[in-house]
Amino acid sequence: MLETKALTKNFGGLCAVNKLNLSIQAGEIVGLIGPNGAGKTTVFNLITGFYRASSGEILFNGKNLVGQKPHRIAESGIVRTFQIAKLFPNFTVLQNLRAASHLFIRVNLWEAIFRTSSYRRKEANGLDHAMKALRFLGLDSLKDEFARILPHGHQKLLGIAMALAASPELLLLDEPLEGMNPKEVDRALDIIAGIRAQGVTILLIEHNMRAVMRICDRIVVINFGQEIAKGSPEEIRQNKDVIKAYLGTSENGN
Amino acid sequence: MAIVCLGCVVPIVMKGNEYYLHIYIICVINIILASSLRAIATTGQVSIGQAGFMAIGAYTSAILATKFNFPTYSALLMGGLAAMVLAALIGYPLARVRTVYFVMVTMFLGEIIRLVLFEWRTMTGGSTGMMGIPRPEAFSILGILQIDFSNRFQFCYLALAVLLLILLALYNIERSHFGTVFAAIGQEESVSSSVGINVARYKVIIFSLASFFTGLAGGLYGHYMTVLNPDSFGTFASLYIVIYVIVGGRKFTGPISGAIILTLIPEIFGGLKEYQPFIFVIVLFLVVFLLPGGLSELPDRMKPQIRKILKRGFRIA
Repeated sequence: MLETKALTKNFGGLCAVNKLNLSIQAGEIVGLIGPNGAGKTTVFNLITGFYRASSGEILFNGKNLVGQKPHRIAESGIVRTFQIAKLFPNFTVLQNLRAASHLFIRVNLWEAIFRTSSYRRKEANGLDHAMKALRFLGLDSLKDEFARILPHGHQKLLGIAMALAASPELLLLDEPLEGMNPKEVDRALDIIAGIRAQGVTILLIEHNMRAVMRICDRIVVINFGQEIAKGSPEEIRQNKDVIKAYLGTSENGN
Repeated sequence: MAIVCLGCVVPIVMKGNEYYLHIYIICVINIILASSLRAIATTGQVSIGQAGFMAIGAYTSAILATKFNFPTYSALLMGGLAAMVLAALIGYPLARVRTVYFVMVTMFLGEIIRLVLFEWRTMTGGSTGMMGIPRPEAFSILGILQIDFSNRFQFCYLALAVLLLILLALYNIERSHFGTVFAAIGQEESVSSSVGINVARYKVIIFSLASFFTGLAGGLYGHYMTVLNPDSFGTFASLYIVIYVIVGGRKFTGPISGAIILTLIPEIFGGLKEYQPFIFVIVLFLVVFLLPGGLSELPDRMKPQIRKILKRGFRIA
């Protein structure tokens, strides 16, 4: 489904991502892990078009995405969340979702100015679509709260709900569990599994090793922008290079 | 609704007084300018070149009507369209610059337009300006209804009709999905594009549409005044529009109240016309410090106060 070929990104003299070859099959949950500064988020920014690759290719269903604008990439079916829950803070939860349902609504300006019946129908469908995403994440009771006052865990969930509302084929989650307590983590993992059950492929960055081991089919480990290991959670657990990269902390730490 | 009725009734009350009618028309034009600017501002950008687009509308309409014998109404429309086309053309490169850079580029754009009008003497009359711009001609609908907007009292209703149509369009846009998208872009561009919103495209859409309305306001101004001069469309004129919006506040009704108050204040203090910038700055400071949300926040702020006073009143009784 998604394949990167020798994907490279240089910032000046610094090589953030170095000849990375990723391959993700439809229906998988793939974990992308590595120590801080390994280049994980840069990979996300490259795939979603926020950064432009210095060299290499990103193939999504056979089409090269390099050089495309973020909104075009979202339109073709890759949607991301952000590490620090980035939302529309001055919108209510529901308004956040309505903005995120943009690709689903598709109205033109004349319909909106004259409020035609087809426009009102599309708007109502958009509301259903937004509410469905909210209900799936269990946020429907909070729909009229302002996003900025939500607790951190809920903001993270809202970020995922917004990404889902854009109807992705491939969902990129950037540290979805960061800052959550164990109970919230369990719930978030259920939700992620539920998203996969709907047929959405998932690539996720996460530092919570126990959770990564539990939910991922495959794991790719990178360090200094280079792949150092890949395989099933079990294989990664045994891998000497990975243990070295993490200085052994992740083994018994988390 | 009450405001619409008020807008209709006020010219009748003031019918005898040409000076009051003049202020009314200027108020209406300023409300169009301020509401259009606010629409652009919802995407997080403030243009300091809107007087330039107003000038494009005014001069296009005036030139078409005087030199090419266009009927006034189609000339007005063409003026708006000319402003819109220019806005759409420069909109794409402009959508790439943000914050203070956007402000600077739009400011220079407005100034360039003014200079072109100044120098293109054969068409625009240069610094002497244009004269003899016709008032809208009378027409009849199906030979039954005679409609005439040519004298000052009648022109009030033409201006009011244009204003109401524009406000209705802006209001419908604001409460539609487009309004949500514009406000989303104004808050977080990166999140907007990550959910598939074409940020540049939507910025161009609202910038062009608002400039169309601004051009219409310019056309109205030209056909009302019947004379035009490039000096009416300088950077100060653009800045005044920004001040209307800041004083009025973020809400939909904000620019309406801001434009009305700031058009009236210099007139109330009759002889102070030359001190207009000074007065505006004082009002601006007062509002920014005392009412940071602008005048449109006033009703919401006063509600608890009034309730308190009412309660106390009852207790005493």
